[in-house]
Amino acid sequence: MQFATATRPAPALSIEGLTYTYPEAAIIALRGVSVTLPPGEFALLAGRSASGKSTLLRAACGLVPHFHGGEIDGRIEVAGIDAISAGPGELAAVVGYVAQDPETQVVSTTVAAEIELPLEMRGDPPASRARAVEEVALALAIPHLLDRAVDTLSGGELQRVALAAALVTRPRLVLLDEPTSQLDPVAGDELIWLLRRLNEEWGVTILLAEHRLERCLAAADRVIAMTSGSVSFDGSPPDFLTWAQDADQALETPAAKLFSLSGIAPLPVGVRDARRTLASSEHRAKGSRTPSSLNFFGEEGSAGRGRIAEKVQAVRRGSGSPSTTAVAVRDLWVELSRGDDERRDVLRGIDIAVRSGEQVALMGRNGAGKSTLLRSLAGLTDSLRGKIEIPGDIALLTQNPGDYLVRERVGDELPGDAGRAALSLVGLEQAIDADPCDLSGGERQRLALAIALAGRMDGEALPGLVALDEPTRGMDRARKDDLVGLIGDLAERGAGLLVATHDVEFAAAFAERVVLLGDGVVIADGPAAEVLSGGWYFATEVARVLDLPGVITPEQGAEVLRRPTEGS
Amino acid sequence: MRSPFAYVPRPRPLQLASPAAAVTYLGSLVVVAFLYSNPIALLSVGLAVVIAGRLAGAHAAVRAALWMGLTLAALIVVVNALVVSRGDTVLARLGEWPLFGQVDVTLEAIVAGLVLGLRAAVVMIAFAVYSACVDPDRVLRALRPLAGRSALTATLVSRLVPVAAADAARLRDAARLRGPGAAPVGRAPLARRLLAGSLDRAVDVAATLELRGYSLDAPRAKNRRSRSRYDRRFYATGLAVLAVAIAGKALGADSFSEYPATEIGTGATTLAVATAVVLSGLAPLRRRPQRARSVLSDRRTASNSLPAGGGI
Repeated sequence: MQFATATRPAPALSIEGLTYTYPEAAIIALRGVSVTLPPGEFALLAGRSASGKSTLLRAACGLVPHFHGGEIDGRIEVAGIDAISAGPGELAAVVGYVAQDPETQVVSTTVAAEIELPLEMRGDPPASRARAVEEVALALAIPHLLDRAVDTLSGGELQRVALAAALVTRPRLVLLDEPTSQLDPVAGDELIWLLRRLNEEWGVTILLAEHRLERCLAAADRVIAMTSGSVSFDGSPPDFLTWAQDADQALETPAAKLFSLSGIAPLPVGVRDARRTLASSEHRAKGSRTPSSLNFFGEEGSAGRGRIAEKVQAVRRGSGSPSTTAVAVRDLWVELSRGDDERRDVLRGIDIAVRSGEQVALMGRNGAGKSTLLRSLAGLTDSLRGKIEIPGDIALLTQNPGDYLVRERVGDELPGDAGRAALSLVGLEQAIDADPCDLSGGERQRLALAIALAGRMDGEALPGLVALDEPTRGMDRARKDDLVGLIGDLAERGAGLLVATHDVEFAAAFAERVVLLGDGVVIADGPAAEVLSGGWYFATEVARVLDLPGVITPEQGAEVLRRPTEGS
Repeated sequence: MRSPFAYVPRPRPLQLASPAAAVTYLGSLVVVAFLYSNPIALLSVGLAVVIAGRLAGAHAAVRAALWMGLTLAALIVVVNALVVSRGDTVLARLGEWPLFGQVDVTLEAIVAGLVLGLRAAVVMIAFAVYSACVDPDRVLRALRPLAGRSALTATLVSRLVPVAAADAARLRDAARLRGPGAAPVGRAPLARRLLAGSLDRAVDVAATLELRGYSLDAPRAKNRRSRSRYDRRFYATGLAVLAVAIAGKALGADSFSEYPATEIGTGATTLAVATAVVLSGLAPLRRRPQRARSVLSDRRTASNSLPAGGGI
């Protein structure tokens, strides 16, 4: 009996010895990269900012070199098509690409037209286009958006629409560049698991670049880590965590850090993995129980719980020293237009106060009203009703720091003593003669903050409120740590800090208090340790692993986990 | 917050017309604005585009463009009055100014500035009506046979205005949020930044268009809406306006001279051209339906075509 030899399908992506330099760039963006993705694989692309992740994705969809130009060497094949000779148009049939900024990914006026466009360009008949649009909208749970104008959508909705437009042609390979950077934790989790479902059910190969690895590591089959344009690791998620522990701790997930600090192995790729390991017989033998019912503190540990509870109470009471109010908002109502004639209440009776020196995270789903609240405080949006008291001054840094930079020399943006003082405050006094375009993303953000703060300082002190709107978009862990330091510094100088963020781990790192907004109302307001450990979506990975009130960071968790082990 | 210049689908004739018909109509008015210098003719073009915009429901766009256009016109009048000292009727002698030299403000220079400013304002209002009433999706598809190989060209034509409007709103906010110790943002740096930023973003959008297969030589898809019953009206009006304007020009309807003394022609031909141009502003008028059935039919046409967004 003879069997026909099945033809092996071409790899979804095959890259060999790829080296690339952007036009007029001094640094090589990709150095000898070789990667092969078989059909149906879910691969995660990890690495710090500027490590070459986005460039690799652009090369895989043909934008590099066809759109960006530059010098390229090596070979790229996408589903058997030579991507260096074929352009992005030819590759569109087999590749879908979703970039970081959803605003630059929509080219049509309505959602339906946007999703339909690739099919229309391909020449599909109207009936088949209508069916494909309907199906992809259902798969991504956006049929209710089809008739909406794209400029009335939130960032999260836009991201889904961009994904739908990338998937509607049923491509074999989908490339995503930090698709969750603008999404709240709920939408971010939903997107990752939706990708996993598409990967399993449709057989779509996925290559996903992401900084918040804790969100997607558990969904991935494989991790490719990049450092300075080269592939520094290529293997399974558990092996990646072991590698990151030695090679680059900024790439460790919070759960992995919790385990490594506690001396527990193997390192977990996700919450379920961590809870299983903790519930394993080895740990039970040492006196622990399953995380959902455990008392990790044990009898000796009650002192530890007491210490955390004391901290929580201290935040509730306010810090020991008396402080002034940086901002007080009472019964604030704001109405905004959603379309031509449609208006809706975005803020509905908000009451919130921030003290000088206090660090507060403002959280909530996309469209909950976080940015509108900050804009109202800064006087950019009029309120219908309510009172805003800001005894000092307010400095607001919006989501696009680049909007603050209009001149070609840092010193020209910030002249005089007030400018120098602001530059010194953010640690950029050395860059006074630089062109803002030549600064790194983090430095540009600091410069924009200095511009907002200039003239609002009182000597070394900084009275009033400093508000930041989604400051960690596209930031790697190292840059987030720098920002946490800067926020602490501003608070020490007396400023009240109000930071709107979707990043739960970042909030846990800097905030003393968290205000959670839901559909324009405050649904939770309390100490960070309490709010970020009391839920599922708006909770840190460590809180979800341990399920202990007040334990939100790997360090706190490790302190708790070490106790029963030491005691036994 | 949506930009006032953003396209809003409405079941009005100008929005339902094909992009080519709408461009012919609005373009003919812009051509007249460049063809004529007579203030009466220019005012008539301004009136026509304002009427057209309002009949098309683009009230916010017309209001914003009027404000911006008249501000620009005022600026041009002031600058022209200060830098041009020609003209017989001296209104004020302001003495020696650095860079400008001897500054004499003349009535003729003011009127000449007014003509330039009026022309700029009229063109801005016409573009605002175009931006708010002509579906960029249909423009993009219409441009494919012409600019299929250049997604960037197509993006610049169809998307630059909405992209720039959104960027301008963000930049204005950022300018308001600068600390008192930061350098104030002048109009020139802001305009430079806006242009550079909008072009950058247009390039990004063009990249997306490439990824959607815009430059493919695929057979053109059958579109659900190829022509509108209003097309003929706008083509005819546009061509009539051009014919009247050219004939009027030949017959001396553009009689106007700034210097040495202002002379504005108010002859019959000028008034006839102005009247015809103003009347052309009524082209987007929606005919009141005779029977209930035709209302339903109109609405169905509009609602079918809006969400699909497809087709020329």
